[in-house]
Amino acid sequence: MLELLAQTGLNAVYAASYISLIAVGLVLIFGVMGVINFAHGELYMAGAYTVVLMYTDFQVPFFLAVAMGLIFVGCLGLAMERALFRPLRDNPLGGLVASIGFLMILQAVAAMGFGVRMEHIAPVTQAVIEFSDRVRLPVARLYVIIAAVVLLTALWLFLKKTRFGWALRAAAQDPEAAALQGISIKQTARIAMFIGAGLAGIAGALTAPLVSVNPHMGHSVIITAFIVIIVGGVGSLEGAVVASVAYAIIHTFVTTFYDGVIADIVGLSLMLLVLIVKPTGLFGSADRA
Amino acid sequence: MLLELRDVSVSYGKVSAVRGISLGVPDGAIVTIIGGNGAGKTTTLRAMSGMVPLTGGEIHFDGQRIDGLTSDKIVARGIAHVPEGRRIFPDMTVEENLRTGAFLRRDKPGIAADLEQVYERFPRLRERRRQMAKTMSGGEQQMLAIGRALMSAPRLLLMDEPSMGLAPVIVEEIARIIEDINAQGVPVVLVEQNAELALELASHAYVLETGNMALEGPADELHDNEHVRAAYLGI
Repeated sequence: MLELLAQTGLNAVYAASYISLIAVGLVLIFGVMGVINFAHGELYMAGAYTVVLMYTDFQVPFFLAVAMGLIFVGCLGLAMERALFRPLRDNPLGGLVASIGFLMILQAVAAMGFGVRMEHIAPVTQAVIEFSDRVRLPVARLYVIIAAVVLLTALWLFLKKTRFGWALRAAAQDPEAAALQGISIKQTARIAMFIGAGLAGIAGALTAPLVSVNPHMGHSVIITAFIVIIVGGVGSLEGAVVASVAYAIIHTFVTTFYDGVIADIVGLSLMLLVLIVKPTGLFGSADRA
Repeated sequence: MLLELRDVSVSYGKVSAVRGISLGVPDGAIVTIIGGNGAGKTTTLRAMSGMVPLTGGEIHFDGQRIDGLTSDKIVARGIAHVPEGRRIFPDMTVEENLRTGAFLRRDKPGIAADLEQVYERFPRLRERRRQMAKTMSGGEQQMLAIGRALMSAPRLLLMDEPSMGLAPVIVEEIARIIEDINAQGVPVVLVEQNAELALELASHAYVLETGNMALEGPADELHDNEHVRAAYLGI
C-alpha cells in the first residue's frame, strides 16, 4: 500500500509538472494581454509535432528537437500576437474568437501534414529509476519534472529580478499605468506571448514520447489548464502553479484508486466548489475577475 | 513654452470630449486646469501623455511635436503623469512600484539617489517599502503615485486630481508636496476639481467647461473672477 501511494505520488508530480508549464503560460498571456488564448492546447500539440517531425522523421537529437519545439512554438506565439491579438487589442472577446479560429487552423494543418492517426515516437530512453520493485520513475518522465522545475524557477527569477520581468508584472496589473512608466505595451505583449507559447511548446515536446500525439491532443489539456487557472485565480502565476500541483495530486490519486472519469468529475466539482466559496479563485484578486 | 497645446480636440467615438483648446505651460510654473465633472480636464491630460489620440490639433513639448507618440515614448521625452485614481501596481511592493517609475533610466547611482530623495520626502513610504502597495491607505497610495512619477526624473509633471478622496489634512500635505516639487524646478500641470486648492498653488489657470476653454488667466485673477467664484469656489 505504501508503495502504491509512493508510485501514485510520483505520477502526480509528473502530471503537475506538465500541467503547470501549460497553465502558467496561459495565465501569463491572459495577465499581460488580457485575452484568453483558446489555442493554447494546440500550441502544446504543435510542440509535440515538432518532436515528431524533427526527432522521428529527421533524426535530430531529442533535446535539440525539444529546444526547436520551444523556439518554434514561441514564434507561433509571436505570430499570433502580431496577426490576431494586436489588431484586436481592447477587444478581449474578439481575441478569444480569433484564438478559437487559430486553434482550428493549427489542428487542420497538423491533420493535413501528419494525418489524423496517432504518431508513435520511439522512446528517448528506456531507463527507469527503481526506488523499489513497485516504485519506478521512467527517466523520460524525470526530464519533464526537471524541465518544469528549472523553467518555472527561471521564469520566477525573471519576473522578480529583471527589468523586463518587472515590466511584465506591471503591465499585467495595469497596462495603462505601466505605459506611463515608459514601458512599451507592444514589447511586453511580445515577451509574454513568446514565453507563454514557448512553455506550452516545450511541455508538448517533452511529453511527446510519453503520450499519444494526434491533432486533437490539445483538447483535454486545455480543459485541465482552464480548471487549474480558475481554481488558482485567473491572473495569478503562483495560483496556477499551486492549483496545478493540487489538481494533479487529486486527479492522479482518484484515477488510481477509482477511475479516470470519476477523477474528471471530481476535478470539475472542485472547480465549482472553489467558484462558490471564493469566486476569484484561491490566489485571485477581486479587480481581475 | 515648455508644453504647448494648439487647437486640440479629442473625441470618444462620436462624443467629443475636448473641442479646440489651446494652452501653454511655461518652464518652472504650476499651471492648473479646473472645471466641473466631465468638462474634459482628464481627457486633456491624457492627450498630453498619448493615452488618447487627438482628433485635431497639435501638442508640442520642448519645441518638438509629441502628439501621435505612444505613452512610453512620451515618458522617455520627460513627461511624467500621476494618473487619476493613483493607479499604483497593487501586487508589487512599495519599492518595486518606485523602481518601476525609473524603468527607462540606466544610471544606477542616479536612481539610488532619487529613491533616497523620495524616501526623505515621504518617510512613510520608506517605513512600508517592503509592503504590498494595495495594503496602503489612500493618502499613502497618492504619495506612492507621486513618488513613482518623480523616479523618472521628469522635466514636466502632470497630476490628475491628486486630492481626490483624501482627508483635508492629507490634501494639505499633498499641496505642500506639490509646491516643494515645483520649487525644486519641476513644472507641474495640475488638474483639479478642488478649485480653491488649485488656484492657491498655480500661477496660471485654465477653466474648461463642457470641452471648451471658457476662461484663462493668472490664478489670482481667476480667483477673484465672479463667474469662477460662483461656479467653482462656492462663494
